[in-house]
Amino acid sequence: MIGMIVRRILQLTFLLLGISFLVFMSMHLAPGDPATVIGGPNATSSDLEAIRDKMGLDRPVLVQYFDYLGGILQGDFGYSYQTNQAVTEAIITRFPTTVKLAVASMVVAVLIGIIAGIISARKQNSWVDVTSTTFALVGVSIPNFWLGTILILIFSVNFQLLPVGGLNSPFYTFEGMKELILPAITLGTASAALIARMTRSSMLEVIRSDYIRTAKAKGVRKRPLIWVHTLKNAMIPVLTIIGINFGSLLGGTIVTEQVFAINGIGRLMIDAIAARDFPIVQGTVLLIAAIFVVVNLIVDIIYTLIDPRISYD
Amino acid sequence: MSAVTETEKNINTEKKTTNRFVEVAKSLMKNKLSLIGIIIITLIVLVAIFSPIITSYGPYEQNLERTKLGVGSEGHFLGTDNYGRDMWSRIAHGAIISLLVGLSSVGIGLFGGIILGLLAGYYRKLDSIIMRFVDLLFAFPGILLAMLIIAMLGTSLVNVVIAISIWSIPGCARIVRGSVLSIKNQEYIQAMKTVGASDLRILLKHVLPNCTAPLIVYGTMRMATAILSTSALSYLGLGAQPPTAEWGAMIAAGQDFMWDAPHISIIPGIAIMLTVFAFNVVGDGLRDALDPNMDVNN
Amino acid sequence: MMRLKKTISLLFLLMTVLLLFVGCSNSESSSDGNNGEGAESDNEGAFEVTYATTSDAAGLSPIDTNDSVSSNVTYQVYETLFKQNPDTLEPEPLLADSYENPDENTWVIKLKEDIEFHDGTPFNAEAVKYTFDQLKDPERAAPRASLLAPVESIEVQDEYTVVLKTKEPYGPMLAALSHTNAAIVSPEADKEGDINKEPVGTGPFVFESWEEGNQITLKRNENYWQEPAAIEKVTYKIVPETSTAISMLETGEVQFIDQIPSDHINRIESLQGIEVQKTEGTRVSYLGFNMEKEPFNDLKFRQAVAYGVNQEAYVSQLNDLGVYSESIIGPKVFGYDEEAKSAGYEFNPEKAKQMIKENGYEGQEITLLAANRDNYLKMAEIVQSQLSDMGLNVSIETMEWASFLDVARKGDFDMTFLGWANSTADGSELLYPNLHSDNIGASNRVRFDNSEFNQLVDESRTSVDQEVRKEKLHEANLLAIETAPWVVMSHGVVTLGYDESIEGLVVDPTGMWSLYPVTRK
Repeated sequence: MIGMIVRRILQLTFLLLGISFLVFMSMHLAPGDPATVIGGPNATSSDLEAIRDKMGLDRPVLVQYFDYLGGILQGDFGYSYQTNQAVTEAIITRFPTTVKLAVASMVVAVLIGIIAGIISARKQNSWVDVTSTTFALVGVSIPNFWLGTILILIFSVNFQLLPVGGLNSPFYTFEGMKELILPAITLGTASAALIARMTRSSMLEVIRSDYIRTAKAKGVRKRPLIWVHTLKNAMIPVLTIIGINFGSLLGGTIVTEQVFAINGIGRLMIDAIAARDFPIVQGTVLLIAAIFVVVNLIVDIIYTLIDPRISYD
Repeated sequence: MSAVTETEKNINTEKKTTNRFVEVAKSLMKNKLSLIGIIIITLIVLVAIFSPIITSYGPYEQNLERTKLGVGSEGHFLGTDNYGRDMWSRIAHGAIISLLVGLSSVGIGLFGGIILGLLAGYYRKLDSIIMRFVDLLFAFPGILLAMLIIAMLGTSLVNVVIAISIWSIPGCARIVRGSVLSIKNQEYIQAMKTVGASDLRILLKHVLPNCTAPLIVYGTMRMATAILSTSALSYLGLGAQPPTAEWGAMIAAGQDFMWDAPHISIIPGIAIMLTVFAFNVVGDGLRDALDPNMDVNN
Repeated sequence: MMRLKKTISLLFLLMTVLLLFVGCSNSESSSDGNNGEGAESDNEGAFEVTYATTSDAAGLSPIDTNDSVSSNVTYQVYETLFKQNPDTLEPEPLLADSYENPDENTWVIKLKEDIEFHDGTPFNAEAVKYTFDQLKDPERAAPRASLLAPVESIEVQDEYTVVLKTKEPYGPMLAALSHTNAAIVSPEADKEGDINKEPVGTGPFVFESWEEGNQITLKRNENYWQEPAAIEKVTYKIVPETSTAISMLETGEVQFIDQIPSDHINRIESLQGIEVQKTEGTRVSYLGFNMEKEPFNDLKFRQAVAYGVNQEAYVSQLNDLGVYSESIIGPKVFGYDEEAKSAGYEFNPEKAKQMIKENGYEGQEITLLAANRDNYLKMAEIVQSQLSDMGLNVSIETMEWASFLDVARKGDFDMTFLGWANSTADGSELLYPNLHSDNIGASNRVRFDNSEFNQLVDESRTSVDQEVRKEKLHEANLLAIETAPWVVMSHGVVTLGYDESIEGLVVDPTGMWSLYPVTRK
């Protein structure tokens, strides 16, 4: 187990190296020039030359890449082309906000998803099941930005219960919680629906599997025991989905942060892509990738804990 | 060889394949929800095929004097959009585009994902390298991946499909691998190995069928995500080219009129929802039907 | 079957509920729209104002930035030597006291005395020289260095007199000196710190803090050289989504927004307690041809397209946020003359079809390149439909902004849409960057190269006689309208939506607004 963790962390380094190369190359090969964005539509050719020269954008791409890598080795992730802010600083100030949002929506998603899934599975084809299935389907079919806007119109504008935008207060304060509710629901709904569906189908699978049948046939009358077993075994695909979903959740923050005017990593990234602010794009992508890998490493570790048949060594 | 078939017979509850198909179809039909799903899909496909006949306006025909007409307006029973284009016509013509986008991107994604997942789960040596590759795909936020692909290849529906399929691969690969891992050490698989069954045979005949249930659920849910992703991409300005009548793009374009003409985004939204609903209940039905251990109406 | 019905009806029920909610909020909002808890609507307490902007400022130094969001902040913190009078369009002294031209190439500018920067540094000729030297310094790579490109030397004559010398007469000098990017910065602050992060100017507001990506705050300059402003604190909140910003305006989380998109104007106008201001602006939006490519280099083809595009129909979709005129130089820009208004090619579908047929352009494949922001997609969709009716085979290619700027600069397109927000409101600043052959490969995206036109624009730039300049600009304008490298789509209308509790907020034709005169009702 320890060996596995160490190995995976080592692999993470190579993964990040691969990603940084891919991102660097694709950003430089894609059309769009940071100098034209900084210069704006009315910059002249000589203005643009001067900007490129100042930022070293006129050097060969590979030279720029190795220069960048060299910087990272010394803990220097570069400076934003746009604001000249250090990339690490830009990320550190926004990171807690995104984590707050992602965790809150994951909590929403897992709570609603697993509970709805279990109820559905236990009462298969009952009206409860149909209702929760319907809601799950509606949930995955609503675009994020659309749901967010509707929620704002209903709860903030119409009923004036919750603030429209921003995540500025600490989450443990009343204000902070109020701010967090709508974005977390917006971001968590799709995942909740997916988790509910996964839990349901996975539970049904296990209920019908031989050993539960055998257990029942053998007269294990302790229903709770059976449910615990079922749940435990049904959680493997559910965990996979949660792990996988964390990735799209991080991606989803891009849209959610946009709608709710939240100053997080997603918006930092999308703005940076739009402005071809390469150092910021690099930094945010590497961060998101690293988080993702770590979350999935944790998922894999939980696998082995739940199901001893799975081993990685 | 005979030993292999022998073993298969012993461990398999399957009957003959012809019977099997009929059986699956039968149990699908018995499940009322999936029956409805099939009907909805059939209707959507029919609408898609006959869209030129059943609409009286072209999907790209503008009328700037009759914009944002509501549902039930004269001559436009679903109203018109912000350029005075007939909503019904756009929905009908959009059906084929959205179905194709959904099916092709999920199809490509599943195909790639299954191969990677099977290999990774079954062959210990490949596991690490494949899964790291999958992680690489995964760790790349989907929207960013799409943005990069589209920035490099240009905005077009085909590139949108490519981007969305790539981002279905890792999820599918992980599910398949997860299932393979929990199956491959079970006694009967080990038994087959000892009697000399080829890996390919084991993978395709015994391991893969065990992944079908989660894959069908994942695939049908993914259909939803795929069609919806086009909408998120359009919201960020990377979706289908206007004026293409693609449902996702229509929702995103209608976002600006949520205030004075909400039907422009709600109608394509309902269209997507119905499609997603249909695929999901059929997916559920299929899963139940494919599962030999269950009786349909419990 | 029961379950099925339930499912379906549930689906629709949900949609109906959502619709109802939207409907409700639509009607009810008018009754209790603006009762936010904000202290700013009370007459007690500090006078604070919050403004929502769709994107963050790139920086807060006038030397190092060139975008409207940054300008909105720097405009309150820094001041320029001259300032354009929005009514007469003539530059008037601001930090300058007076000026004279001993000869055509020399500008002697007297400065106002006893003005201090926010850090206590005195404002004087040295500060002006320092600022302009920085703006021109290639090392600094100022995005708007071109503003002062014709200036050869900047000399300090005495404490409050600065002398600018040009190689050739520079007509738009005063317009250039009125440009927000030519605002004067504190030399001390710039040498010792980063004014792009902590700006120091002479303006009515002092920088307080900048939480990047979230908000910028300014506070009143108590030692302002004129009466201090009424507003005590200003917050610029970054809200990327327009409909969110409008919701915030409705709930009182923000007090004003600008640049309202035409698709949202109806909603704002329906809100109670919110005032909307619309003023004709200097911005012009156009359909441009790639003048180096067949068949777009053919005047006949461009005329046919010009006849075939119905701008009135486009403008009618803007909810009064656009004005149609065939003139390239807009009514609010120096160099405009009524005569140019109808000097172009009025919509005439018959003639367009006929010309397309006669010249063998039927079925001609055209790709319209459109950036996916502002109104460019709307223009593209409408023009695509109109030109298709004329017998051309038109498709649209959309691109996000950065790619678009790159592609358009390289001239890699057939026809495209773009706008020009003229921040000096001077015709030379429109015609020279966009249509003069000097700027092909940069801001002259349509690659228009016409020696007669170049000459006229050069003359408008090298004359210091405003009457002559106006004359030359008008001639150049007529020539460009006739040659049609551009087909004008509309001239802009600048907007503000603000809480009725504030008064005195006025938006200039250039889209700028000053918070200095704003008071509480």
